[in-house]
Amino acid sequence: MITLTHFLVVSACIFSIGLYTVLAKRNAIMILVGIELMINAAILNFVAFGRYDKINYSGQVFALFAIVLAAASVAVGLAIILNVYRHYKTINPDQITDLRD
Amino acid sequence: MEELLNISPIHASILVVLLPFVAFLIQAIRGKKSNSGNISLIAITLSTLLSGIFVFAEVWNYLPMHSTYDWFRIGEKTFTIGILLNNLTVLMLFIVCIVALPVHIYSRAYMKGDPGLHRYWMYLSLFCFAMLGLCISKNILVSYIFWELVGFASYLLIGFWFTKESAVQANKKAFLINRIGDLGFLIGIAAVFTSFGTLDLVELFGKEGLIYSEFDKDSGLMTLAGLGFFLGAMAKSAQFPLHIWLPDAMEGPTSVSSLIHAATMVAAGVFLLCTIFPLFNDTVLLLITIIGTITATLAAYFAAGQYDIKRVLAFSTISQLGYMMAAVGIGAWDAALFHLATHAFFKCLLFLCAGAVIHEIAHAKTIAGLDFDPQDLRNMGGLRKYMPKTFVLMSIASLALAGFPLTSGFLSKDAIVIATFEWAFHKGGAYFIVPILLVLVSIITAFYIGRLIFKAFMGESRLPEPAESNIHEAPKQMLYPMYFLAICSLFFVFSINPISYHQAGILSGFSVNYTFKEIHSLHLFIPLTLTATALISWIIGYRWYVLNKYPLNAESGWIKAETNQLGINDFINNTIVKVTLIISRASVWLDKYIVEGLVNSASKGTLYLSKIATLLDRHLVDGFVMAIRNLTIGLSRVAAWWDKHIVDGIVNTIAGLAYYLGHLLRWVQNGRIQNYLGFAFTIVLIGILYLILR
Amino acid sequence: MGLLSLLIFLPLAATLLILLLPANLQKSYRYIALGITLTQFFIAGSLYLQFDQSAAGINTVEGYQFVEQIPWIRLSLGSLGQLEIDYFLGVDGVSLPLLLLCAFVMLMAVGASWNTSKSPKGYFALIMLLNMAVMGIFTALDFFLFYIFYEVMLLPLYFLIGIWGGANREYAAIKFFIYTLFGSVFMLLIIVGLYFSVINPETGAHTFNMLHMMNPDNYVDGSFFAYLNNYNEVLGIPARMIGFIVLFIAFAIKIPIVPLHTWLPDAHVEAPTPVSIILAGILLKIGGYGIIRVCYSIFPDMTVDANWWLGLIGIISILYGALNALAQTDLKRLIAYSSVSHMGFVLLGLASMTAEGMAGAVFQMISHGFLSAALFFLVGVIYDRVHDRYIYNFRGLASLMPAYTGFVAVAFFASLGLPGFSAFIGEAFVIIGTFNAESVGTGIPRWMAIAGSLGILLSAVYFLWTLQRMFFGQTRVKGGEEWLTALKDVTIRERIVLFPTLALALLLGVMPSLVFDTLNSSVLNLVSLLSPYF
Repeated sequence: MITLTHFLVVSACIFSIGLYTVLAKRNAIMILVGIELMINAAILNFVAFGRYDKINYSGQVFALFAIVLAAASVAVGLAIILNVYRHYKTINPDQITDLRD
Repeated sequence: MEELLNISPIHASILVVLLPFVAFLIQAIRGKKSNSGNISLIAITLSTLLSGIFVFAEVWNYLPMHSTYDWFRIGEKTFTIGILLNNLTVLMLFIVCIVALPVHIYSRAYMKGDPGLHRYWMYLSLFCFAMLGLCISKNILVSYIFWELVGFASYLLIGFWFTKESAVQANKKAFLINRIGDLGFLIGIAAVFTSFGTLDLVELFGKEGLIYSEFDKDSGLMTLAGLGFFLGAMAKSAQFPLHIWLPDAMEGPTSVSSLIHAATMVAAGVFLLCTIFPLFNDTVLLLITIIGTITATLAAYFAAGQYDIKRVLAFSTISQLGYMMAAVGIGAWDAALFHLATHAFFKCLLFLCAGAVIHEIAHAKTIAGLDFDPQDLRNMGGLRKYMPKTFVLMSIASLALAGFPLTSGFLSKDAIVIATFEWAFHKGGAYFIVPILLVLVSIITAFYIGRLIFKAFMGESRLPEPAESNIHEAPKQMLYPMYFLAICSLFFVFSINPISYHQAGILSGFSVNYTFKEIHSLHLFIPLTLTATALISWIIGYRWYVLNKYPLNAESGWIKAETNQLGINDFINNTIVKVTLIISRASVWLDKYIVEGLVNSASKGTLYLSKIATLLDRHLVDGFVMAIRNLTIGLSRVAAWWDKHIVDGIVNTIAGLAYYLGHLLRWVQNGRIQNYLGFAFTIVLIGILYLILR
Repeated sequence: MGLLSLLIFLPLAATLLILLLPANLQKSYRYIALGITLTQFFIAGSLYLQFDQSAAGINTVEGYQFVEQIPWIRLSLGSLGQLEIDYFLGVDGVSLPLLLLCAFVMLMAVGASWNTSKSPKGYFALIMLLNMAVMGIFTALDFFLFYIFYEVMLLPLYFLIGIWGGANREYAAIKFFIYTLFGSVFMLLIIVGLYFSVINPETGAHTFNMLHMMNPDNYVDGSFFAYLNNYNEVLGIPARMIGFIVLFIAFAIKIPIVPLHTWLPDAHVEAPTPVSIILAGILLKIGGYGIIRVCYSIFPDMTVDANWWLGLIGIISILYGALNALAQTDLKRLIAYSSVSHMGFVLLGLASMTAEGMAGAVFQMISHGFLSAALFFLVGVIYDRVHDRYIYNFRGLASLMPAYTGFVAVAFFASLGLPGFSAFIGEAFVIIGTFNAESVGTGIPRWMAIAGSLGILLSAVYFLWTLQRMFFGQTRVKGGEEWLTALKDVTIRERIVLFPTLALALLLGVMPSLVFDTLNSSVLNLVSLLSPYF
């Protein structure tokens, strides 16, 4: 029997992988991927908890909503990265230090 | 006209004091003018006339008067400015005027052509103002003000030739040593104020300035007050060991030396002690006697070994001031004042004569284009032929100094010596040292002044040939004041009877209650002894210096005398150190230093044995001052180091610590977004761990 | 608007005006500053003339004159009650002479900054801001208002030293700033503590009014700083003693006392001449004034307990400062250390708690105010010409610059306490008052008076030595021909600044009643405030 705990464990794993990616990668796109992973972990949780709301299906609704949002953020994020690349000729966030003191 | 002549002594005395001040102000405002001497001369002439006719003649032996004006109020106490005219103050006022006037006239010729002449007259007027103000002031605080102003004027005049290094050193030394005395004076004032709540002389002692008030004279506070005032007098009147400034002060113009450093300012210490005499208890009086005697003895001894004509006279002044101090100490302050008055005239005359000699020799030197010291006795000799008038005048003054009959010095010196003998008979025992020493001083005095006359005026000339022919008598403008002073050095000015001082007008003007009995036989015996010994010492001096039968070829005789003197010197220094400690509880380092200085001087003592008295004096006493100075500088360097490294260091350490901590935290804010996120998650993680493990 | 407010807000208006004027009118800034300070000087002078000398001041509002009291901040704090901060000004016999001194020194400072070329706009605006703050400090009677002015004063000084200063200016500015801030931050704690301990008897609310703080009846029983039933201790020290010590340290840094004085030589040496003048002439006096107005009046009981230590600190400052001055080779540093020594007399006089000693101390503050200003100005004269002030680089200046030497000699002799000049009256009465203290029973022993008088001797030593080294002897300067031509005698402008200052020193030395008459009733009231605790 697959219980809620299993979902949560998987989701936590995905979230951790995403977090690791965001913290450790030196490539903006990989960071974006990490963020996506974290969002998906959240979505998984929504769906998993959604079974406790069988009347409104608010979990599923929120999941759909979040997926749309994630898609939009990826579009915007990629556009920003593209512009950053054009300007700095790099997408390594460590080298983009114009605002540093 | 009648109204004008009926000017009250109080107002007249105010005018006397203010006239020189007005002269000073006018000259200060006018700046560099060639005829500025006239203003000073007019001022001092008017002052002299006023003080003679309207003050001295009116008040002397009549009722004393005083008048008070409010100056300022501080808290509940009112401080006043006042004028006190009694026998003591008007006498002093008159003496200062009557000595200052001839010196002013003399200066016109003596200082002619000096580029800083206007400053000379300005300073001289300032000095007269301060000195005259000191004489008649009724409030001790105001006295103190004038007291310091006198020292300030003296500072300016000693350093008159300010491009001369030795003059600048000398005036600094004079002012600083006087400052030591001033502090004593200030402490004395504070002690009097604490005890009596007033600084008004009349309120303190009654109108006559002599009445003993009812108070505990032997309390520690009164001793402190007495010692404080005496310290002031010691510095101003050049008493051992604070006498070292006076010989150096001879760097000033000779006319200044005659007025300030012989006749008036240095006598101010004696005058002060007379004014506040009732304050002193037996401890202080004994100390005054001791110091006075020591000063008289040592200075006379040193005077015998000097070659600079002015330094001989300077040490002679110190010695005579020691006489006066000793007289004050035994309670015969009337005799001290009498001697002050006579001494003012003949010592002023001696200086003026010396000035004339120096002036002429320096003049001849310039004409001949030679270079030698015009003040050195070894360069003089045989001047009698060229300057006969000066010779006669100087001889009169020298006779007065030596205490020869028919001169004023005879009367006043006898008064002091006899009084000391009577005092010693009354006290008995070891107190006889004082009169015996004073007699000894009298003999040495006759000897050294004889030596000066013989070396300068008798015998063969030792001047270089081209200069010798250019020497002639001093100009009339310089001679007239000297005539006047010479007349004042004779007996009839002070007493009708040339042999007994009892008829002296000055003495009868003061009613002093001696604590000791009069002994009649002394009044015959002492003058005879003094005169006889003086004659003998002159004969010896004549044989030595004129006939050149100098018996002391072997240095050993001198050395022996030197050795003894050194022993006394060390002993005296020891006592002074102890007394000074009681007076001021001086800081530990000072104490430590003087003791150390004694050790140093003892080790150097053997070196000094072979040198003449001059070097002895200069090195020993001056050495202390220099060493004190060096220690002070050293200490202050240590203080500066401490300030820079320790005090500052603590502050800097704290600042550094703060900076280091800040730097540590700053590392977190490195501008990398991923690091920020990482830190944020770490904090969250720590929070979660805390919640779990709680 | 009262005259006191006018005194405070005139310079503020000047600041705004200077900031608004365009830079091509920059020649006019100094005239604005001069006009304002001159007006202030006349206002302060007229206040001085109108002042009723019988008013006792110190702890009763009736004793103050030209009082202005307007409610300023009223805030309900719920359970903590009502916050009451007043705009409360007034002067008594202690603050009025200092206020006049302040106006005078400001005038001198403007005169000294006449030729400032480095961004005059900011310079004069800051000077005027500083002017406002110091005027406020000497008139404020509400502790909160006092504190505000106290802090506002720091800001312009920091920039004036840090921007217009010498080579090492940043270091000096920071050092000065941190020192003063160190004192005032803790002062704020005590102010808050006092606020919660004192209530306004009329409204029942807590108050910052200093005069209420001076009355023991206004303290809440058992509160932190209460007189009665006060069991509060910090580290075993009674709370009131803590309050006294902290406030004392805050002001003592300003005076400054040894060993909290190390900011002073650095700040003075690095600061431009006018700022040195203000520092020595006004800032140091704020320390002395604060001790009288705050420490002595609010904590009289603790003052009496601690006064032996105050006297000792005074003595140490006198001797230590003088010894330090003796060893200096930089003329400005020498004068800075002499300030430490002379301000030590102020502390000694205050510690004596006799009428003579305290009046002497206030007189000494005033006298030192313009004399040290004159001394710094004189250093500035020579520094302007050759940019050097090392004592051994000059010799025999008397032949080269006779008028300058005359001014220096007068200023030196006035500072070393020659009778006839003001410093003598101040120092002599501090010594006499201290000597008298043992008879009154305030706990200051006589040896302190004698030790203090040694300071007078030492001051003569270093001033005369300097005079001899720099001005007398044969002329010889380090810079050779170039310096000889550069070292011109004092100009008319410099004479205009110097002459009134030294004339004032002479005037006050001859007629000290000009100050003492104003001062007397306040000082007597202060003594009577302290005397119950002897």
